[in-house]
Amino acid sequence: MAFNGHQRDDDDIIDENETPSKQPRSDKEMPVHFRNEPNSESATTAGRATSDRRTSQSATRHRHDSVKKTRPPFPWFGMDIGGTLVKLVYFEPKDITAEEEQEEVENLKSIRRYLTSNTAYGKTGIRDVHLELQDLTLCGRKGNLHFIRFPTHDLPAFLQMGRDKHFSSLHTTLCATGGGAYKFESDFRMMADLELHKLDELDCLIRGVLYLDSVMSSGPSECYYFENPADPDHCVQKPCTLENPYPLLLVNIGSGVSILAVYSEDNYKRVTGTSLGGGTFLGLCCLLTGCSTFEEALEMASQGESTRVDKLVRDIYGGDYERFGLPGWAVASSFGNMMSKEKRESVSKEDLARATLVTITNNIGSITRMCALNENIETVLFVGNFLRVNTLSMKLLAYAMDYWSKGQLKALFLRHEGYFGAVGALLELLHPS
Amino acid sequence: KAKNCGSQKVFHSHVMVATNGSCCSSSSSNAFGSSTVPSGSGTFENMHHLHRGDDAECNGSPAKRCRLRRRTESVRKHRPPFPWFGMDIGGTLVKLVYFEPVDITAEEEQEEVENLKSIRRYLTSNVAYGKTGVRDVHLELRNLTMCGRTGNLHFIRFPTQAMPRFIQMGRDKNFSSLHTTLCATGGGAYKFENDFRMMADLELLKLDELDCLIRGLLFVDRVGFNGHPECYYFQNPSDTQSCVKKPCTLDNPFPMLLVNIGSGVSILAVYSENNYKRVTGTSLGGGTFLGLCCLLTGCETFEEALEMASKGDSTNVDKLVKDIYGGDYERFGLQGSAVASSFGHMMSKEKRDSISKEDLARATLVTITNNIGSIARMCAVNEKIERVVFVGNFLRINTVSTKLLAYAMDYWSKGQLRALFLEHEGYFGAVGALMELLKTTEDP
Repeated sequence: MAFNGHQRDDDDIIDENETPSKQPRSDKEMPVHFRNEPNSESATTAGRATSDRRTSQSATRHRHDSVKKTRPPFPWFGMDIGGTLVKLVYFEPKDITAEEEQEEVENLKSIRRYLTSNTAYGKTGIRDVHLELQDLTLCGRKGNLHFIRFPTHDLPAFLQMGRDKHFSSLHTTLCATGGGAYKFESDFRMMADLELHKLDELDCLIRGVLYLDSVMSSGPSECYYFENPADPDHCVQKPCTLENPYPLLLVNIGSGVSILAVYSEDNYKRVTGTSLGGGTFLGLCCLLTGCSTFEEALEMASQGESTRVDKLVRDIYGGDYERFGLPGWAVASSFGNMMSKEKRESVSKEDLARATLVTITNNIGSITRMCALNENIETVLFVGNFLRVNTLSMKLLAYAMDYWSKGQLKALFLRHEGYFGAVGALLELLHPS
Repeated sequence: KAKNCGSQKVFHSHVMVATNGSCCSSSSSNAFGSSTVPSGSGTFENMHHLHRGDDAECNGSPAKRCRLRRRTESVRKHRPPFPWFGMDIGGTLVKLVYFEPVDITAEEEQEEVENLKSIRRYLTSNVAYGKTGVRDVHLELRNLTMCGRTGNLHFIRFPTQAMPRFIQMGRDKNFSSLHTTLCATGGGAYKFENDFRMMADLELLKLDELDCLIRGLLFVDRVGFNGHPECYYFQNPSDTQSCVKKPCTLDNPFPMLLVNIGSGVSILAVYSENNYKRVTGTSLGGGTFLGLCCLLTGCETFEEALEMASKGDSTNVDKLVKDIYGGDYERFGLQGSAVASSFGHMMSKEKRDSISKEDLARATLVTITNNIGSIARMCAVNEKIERVVFVGNFLRINTVSTKLLAYAMDYWSKGQLRALFLEHEGYFGAVGALMELLKTTEDP
């Protein structure tokens, strides 16, 4: 059956999604919802994410259509369960016909309403409205893509909600990536009767990055860089795209850091990683300053002076260490002044927060630069939620890449920072690879 | 002509030494650079090695003539006058090496000027100086021959913070009357140059710290540690039960990756004694470990910090791969026990309340050490060097870190890389500076 005026089979689906334009949906098309058929079997027969595995108990025309079209039933989620945060992307269809709406099962409708009419969920869940992608076409449906996050610590509450809303009756599997997809697999099964389709976080990351960059929207460009990073008065954000992005060094800064060399969509390697990541920044800040959240830590850092805390080259040399090109203002020893009681008593919490931020950021920058040099890659893309609302680190990274490489390396950033894994998981749901 | 321990460029004519070596009025006056001729004492001679030894100004006692003759011999043999020091003024510690001659003849002893004798006695009969100076007796190199003299090489350290007091002592002991220049390396040689000049009338011969490091390291490895090897490694680093320290030498040492862990870290690729490059560095070094420990635990010294670390458990503080994955992250070969996020548990108040200061000290040590190991490994791979030598005072009495580094090099490289260590850890820069002083004559 035709659909969007296109012939539908597996191969086509891939094409549709890759094109940046949004395609109108034909009236003739059938909605893909199916009637709720509570059947314990459906939960246990769940398998890997191909459309085939979706239960065929329902006799509805819609389910059959959906299977034929290899389009999974709503709701469409992608989930990335990280060390600190759970990232959730949710596709809200906007092209629901009256008929479809009428058939829509109650709990599906309630989920849709709950997610789209709130921007906060419980005490810690947040929908990043400014990141919403509107009028997106995915898998032949038109809608908005929502970006939601909550601490991994609160996953039990999320599971409980999934159970209360009978999520399992709608959807036997959920595409999930990140370490938590493995760690919490049995919790999902036990507590909410949900089967996770586990995906590798780095596969999903790359897939999500490439997809979001290619999507054209009326909003701001996904990709950007900083012009004049060394000049605070003239440092500006400038848009760019990842056209011909390969090879690319992708630095994912979450709780920890992974550094990938990406040669093509399907060809990448994990070069290395470092355990000094966003989790280190937040953990150390909480210990050193008494703050409790990432936002507090950043706020303090923005007001502090790290040079009171760090020992600079000039503190040791009295100036530059010219022989090896180390300027006097470069940090020789992070937190190096803190071995002195006098200095410890003279710094503020803000100074400590700033020093922690600078130390972690510069270490990542330094390691990244070494990798870029070794892999012979000039373009470096920084992602991950450490950079969320963290212009300080982004500018520092932009500056460090530029300065220490004498202009050879360019640092790029993406607006959706830490959500790419979840997007990649969603894409796997819709276009299984 | 013979190279002075002070290069001609830095010689200042106002620094004069009387032939009897006694305190010349020059040292007490005009410390601020004016080139006035000291008044009062009869004769004095210029200590510059361009001195030919045939000065006419040699009236006075036979002792005086003797000293002059000996000094002339010294000059002819291109040997600088005693005392022989090498100094490395780092970001946290000053490292001083002192050569104590043991082949002093009765005659020489008789001639020896008072303040020189007093310096020698002070240094060799104490193991602690003031509140913070320490002589590492266990590192003493005995019966060493340097520049034709036999003696013991002593290794002394004190905090850079105590530098003003050291300079004051140099002034009080009229050090400037003995020695016009002092070979010094490290950033402090530049930073404190003026202070030495102003406060103690001493001219520093400034040397690059990395040049000195390499020179000193190769020398000590060559002469050995009182008959034992200077260099060692760990066998079975991955096995805590059977991990043993084993001696080795740096035969055919090149190429080597040299990782110097002081306040900060420098990583050098060394191809030959005179051919090396600084590959990179990191600011997360020994100073970071100590600074963070002081902040997190309230400790005050390196020794306290290590003591605490030896008793703590860093896995209570760090978020491991298994905390995120529930096990290994097999796809990329990351074991569940690997650290995914250092201090990653500390964002949780509950966990913060449950850990001890010892755990925090341990986590700080492990974090800094592993970061250095990781960066060193990347450099070794890029530079295609298999031997990684770790030096610097961060490793002083720090077996936790040395073993961790040995393990990390071995494990992450699947046995390709080997970590080597040296007993004299942080003193090589100072030794290299001493060697520069003695440069024209070097005994095998």
